[in-house]
Amino acid sequence: MARLVAALFLSVSLTVRLAAQDSQFSVRGLGVPGRWESVRARTTGGAFGPFDPRSSVADVSLADALQLTATAVEATTYRRAEIGGSRDDLRSSRFPFMSLAGPLSRRFVVGGGFATYLDRTYSIVTRDSQMLRGAYAPYTDRVGSDGAVADLRVAAAARLGSWIAIGAGAHVLSGSSRQTAQRIYDDTTFLGTTQTAVVRYDGFGISGSVALDPVRSVRIVGYARSDNRLRARLGDTETDRVDLPTTLGAALRWSPSPSARVAGTVAWRSWSDAGGFNTTSWSAGAEVGAGPTPFRLGVRGGQLPFGPGTAAPTEFGVTLGTGKSFSGNRALVDLGLERLVRKGGGLTETAWTVLVGLTIRP
Amino acid sequence: MRRAALAAALTALTAATACTEDVTAPGHCPDFCPSGSITGVDTVLQTVVQRDSAFRGFVRPHEARSLLAATLPGVIDGRAIVLLVPVGQRLVVGTGGDTTTGAIVGVDSLRLTVTITRRDTSAHNLTLVYYRLPLDLDSTKTFADLAGAWTTADSLRSLNVDSVYALAGHVDLLRGDSVFVDTLTNRVTVIAKLDSAMAPYVVADSGKAAFGIRVVADSRASIALGSVEAGLGPLLTWFAEADSVAKDTVPRSSTVGVRFDSFVFDLLSPSVDTTLDSTLAVGGMPVARSIMRFALPRLIRDSVQISRATLVLVTARPPEGVPADSFTLSAHGVLADFSAKSPLSPDPSRVATTRVHIGIARGDTVRIEMADILRSWQIDTLAPTALALRQIPEGMEFPEIRFEPSTNVALAPALHVTYVKRFPFGKP
Repeated sequence: MARLVAALFLSVSLTVRLAAQDSQFSVRGLGVPGRWESVRARTTGGAFGPFDPRSSVADVSLADALQLTATAVEATTYRRAEIGGSRDDLRSSRFPFMSLAGPLSRRFVVGGGFATYLDRTYSIVTRDSQMLRGAYAPYTDRVGSDGAVADLRVAAAARLGSWIAIGAGAHVLSGSSRQTAQRIYDDTTFLGTTQTAVVRYDGFGISGSVALDPVRSVRIVGYARSDNRLRARLGDTETDRVDLPTTLGAALRWSPSPSARVAGTVAWRSWSDAGGFNTTSWSAGAEVGAGPTPFRLGVRGGQLPFGPGTAAPTEFGVTLGTGKSFSGNRALVDLGLERLVRKGGGLTETAWTVLVGLTIRP
Repeated sequence: MRRAALAAALTALTAATACTEDVTAPGHCPDFCPSGSITGVDTVLQTVVQRDSAFRGFVRPHEARSLLAATLPGVIDGRAIVLLVPVGQRLVVGTGGDTTTGAIVGVDSLRLTVTITRRDTSAHNLTLVYYRLPLDLDSTKTFADLAGAWTTADSLRSLNVDSVYALAGHVDLLRGDSVFVDTLTNRVTVIAKLDSAMAPYVVADSGKAAFGIRVVADSRASIALGSVEAGLGPLLTWFAEADSVAKDTVPRSSTVGVRFDSFVFDLLSPSVDTTLDSTLAVGGMPVARSIMRFALPRLIRDSVQISRATLVLVTARPPEGVPADSFTLSAHGVLADFSAKSPLSPDPSRVATTRVHIGIARGDTVRIEMADILRSWQIDTLAPTALALRQIPEGMEFPEIRFEPSTNVALAPALHVTYVKRFPFGKP
């Protein structure tokens, strides 16, 4: 069974690309921020993210990784974008998250992995015409981008006492997007043109977090992250440089019994540094069941940093999921379903996302 | 068992959800479109051709793959000339492998076969007129040099191609002529019978013969006859009497090919003068080419993508001829710019063509679509940005066209180019 799960893990890793959930809101600005959560955390609306050692929201959560753990997430999204009476159904499969963590000692844990920092995948088709040689020449333009900025993290966490733990991490932002601009004239005497370029991105960030357990059933996490800037380069030429946001977040988890946990999270990010809107996002979720098949649900909301107009687009999501352990808890499969609604600038985007998470504890 | 079923279900779920992709959606601009856009530009580069010149002599009449004959009153009078291989003084008289020869003692008749490779189907009563020419034909001979042989009195006979073709079997039993049409190639084979008086056998010449062929019709006439260079040279069959040991004489035949073929012409109008001037001459005889050198802006050479590029040429002197003389004009990239001796590129992407029709007038424009050539210049930045304007195929048409040169600023060759600017990649 362990071999089967490992093979499944590898097959997902090799066939799906790194990116978060695509969105029409990624067309303008830097893109759509990714989710740094495992399926377990994501199916609680993200509320368990700062507490989940398999997620990379708060480095301090690594302190709970008491054995070597590897996690990967696969997400398939069926999306519908509605604007101005038109409706488009889109779909994509992504591999947005992977992490590895393990203890160096009883009190010190290190980890790393990658997550999507910004998703920049879209393909836009427009029709228009141009006056050429005395007549209007209709054409079809296709402008697309396929890629993402990845967040490569190295982090460590230490439990200083029974009631306090701290964590810190360094983040290298790296990635690329293959961009395409194509024009095809209806009149075939005009040859079609296709231009492509690979735009590379880089940046750097640091993060820190602290977890306090004032009583046995309650944990409070505060976390912060600062990313310096995102540089876009085309070949050896720098084409763009924007500041990246500072992230501040806090979370509270209450475990009234060993088989029930509830949590809530709020985070603020200064995306105005990058030319967007500052965003505040929140989430609340619960996990019921301490056995091998827990049930999870959550809700989350907030804003997106980039969109038209003077107000930030909003998003609201509801999630639910479950998990199953195998081989004496050495392999975990988490499944989830997410319903998401994003609105802004006249566009309403709804999405169903099927989430599959695989965790191995060798 | 239960775990295996669950694992199989998970595998199926993963396979079903992985690798599906459709992220293409109509753009709702400007709110949900990228900040950068594709920009198309349509412009005419008036001074892009900065040096040009014309050269003549690429194909001379005796090198041509066609023997041109034309009667265009007031324009040109062209006639084919043919010198045939001597039949010799003896013919094989033996049979069944016996190679015994006997001297030719007399000639009964001859059949001269020519192939018309191009004709104007609207010209009725197309007639070939045969002349006997001096035996010293060579490439230096001009129309004037042979003026004495073109008189009506020197005409051996004529053959109305249309009339013979209209006969049953396309054979004139009375005169011994015949006409065949190859429906696949549209070539017309004309066989004319000549008697011994028209082409007497001269022992001292070993049976040399030379003929000239003129073409006339009810209207203007212009044809091309196959030449030996094209493998379609004229043939002459001698039907001779050879001395035999067993009998007094025996009839024998022998077919000989061409030793030299060419054509001569008389330019009847100054408008078809072959002297080169500053204009860009293409075609004619001897064949002319023009070399055009382009000074492309760096933007065009380096940064943009070409959608369409049209070379616009203004006719300075239109071609004269019949509709069948319409020809293909080619703009041919060169491997190196050695002026008249520039070698032509074998790369088909560096050749652009258009059809030039007889009837085009002075001042009319001729356009050649050359986007592929421009694109090839963008790819191969070491390639010379020069074109040879030429007729295709060369040496098979009398008409010559001339275009206004770059020195005529108002009517200089221009390049009408439609391109897409470099997209601003890397901007959010």
